Amino acid sequence: MERTLTVSIPMAAPGQDPDIELIERYFAGDTAAFDEILIRYERQIYRVCYRFVENREDAMDLAQDVFVKVFEHLPTFRRESTLKTWLYRIAINHCLNHVKKHSQEFVEVTEYTGSIGPTAQAKLEDREQREHFRRLVKRLPPKQKAILELRINEQLSYEEIARISGRSVSTIKASVFFALEKLRKLVRDPSS
Amino acid sequence: MFGHLKAKDFVNLMEGIELPAKHRSHLDECGRCRATWQSLESIHAEVSTEVSAMDDEIPEPDWVQFRSSVRDGLLSRSIQRETAVRRWTGWAIRPAMAWALSLLLVVGVTTVAVVWNSTQTVTPSTSIETPVSEPAPETIEAGPERSLFDDLVQLGDDEQQQVQQMLESSLKGPHYR
Repeated sequence: MERTLTVSIPMAAPGQDPDIELIERYFAGDTAAFDEILIRYERQIYRVCYRFVENREDAMDLAQDVFVKVFEHLPTFRRESTLKTWLYRIAINHCLNHVKKHSQEFVEVTEYTGSIGPTAQAKLEDREQREHFRRLVKRLPPKQKAILELRINEQLSYEEIARISGRSVSTIKASVFFALEKLRKLVRDPSS
Repeated sequence: MFGHLKAKDFVNLMEGIELPAKHRSHLDECGRCRATWQSLESIHAEVSTEVSAMDDEIPEPDWVQFRSSVRDGLLSRSIQRETAVRRWTGWAIRPAMAWALSLLLVVGVTTVAVVWNSTQTVTPSTSIETPVSEPAPETIEAGPERSLFDDLVQLGDDEQQQVQQMLESSLKGPHYR
């Protein structure tokens, strides 16, 4: 891959964050480092994106945009947080912007996938229940939903989520609480 | 005064973080907090189960294709950036070029006009000067003098003398000194 980055970064100290080591190799022109960064995080970022759009192609496009942004802005990465946190922050912001722009389309997709199901009765019921729950989760405010998913799906710590979203740990915990509370109310009364 | 448990306390409880003794005893005594905690715990379990089931349904993309598309995306971005820089440079140079061209045009037009004017003034000067060109001295002198003498011929002797004196005095005047 062609790169014209001329940023000088001090060499990695032994035992330091492996991501920093990868970044330094990437800046030094090691093309394998580019692939290694991708391999390390592509799946996680793709899954985060998928949960926002629930569509393979769109999720791939979103994840691709995220990585392009990440590599483009890597010289400005100040290492105040880990690469993982930085990546998640870019991904979440990108997905939230995408959701904001295409909110109407998502409703349509949800309704469409809701009508598809396997023919077997048990599978259909199971699927419908899952779809129903998924629809309820989708009714959460996007930021609350993102925080809940980062905690439950990605199993990130509250501190990590706080760094990603730029909020305090207490605020993140409160967001998780209110998201679960809202879900509980929706499960009881979906029309609420 | 200690109130009910806060959102953060419920989440800590859900995450298995030990509550301070004061909070723990409140939870044991307060029915409302206990009910909130129980419902939160059950919805959390449900969300975790459903979410992990949803995760299993996420289709895996072709990672090799994904990586190459990221590479292509980066390349096209860098090309776009270079084009933008070139375009910007072009726009920076264009006004300077426009100024230079207009200056050249002005200088050119002025030079042509000056050259044209000089040739125009030279050509008519010959044609104008020719008719006026140095009239023969006798034409100037003879013309009025003859007519004057003609008039003088018709005057009487006294009148002729007076006119002659006037002419002589005027010829001797300060004008011709």
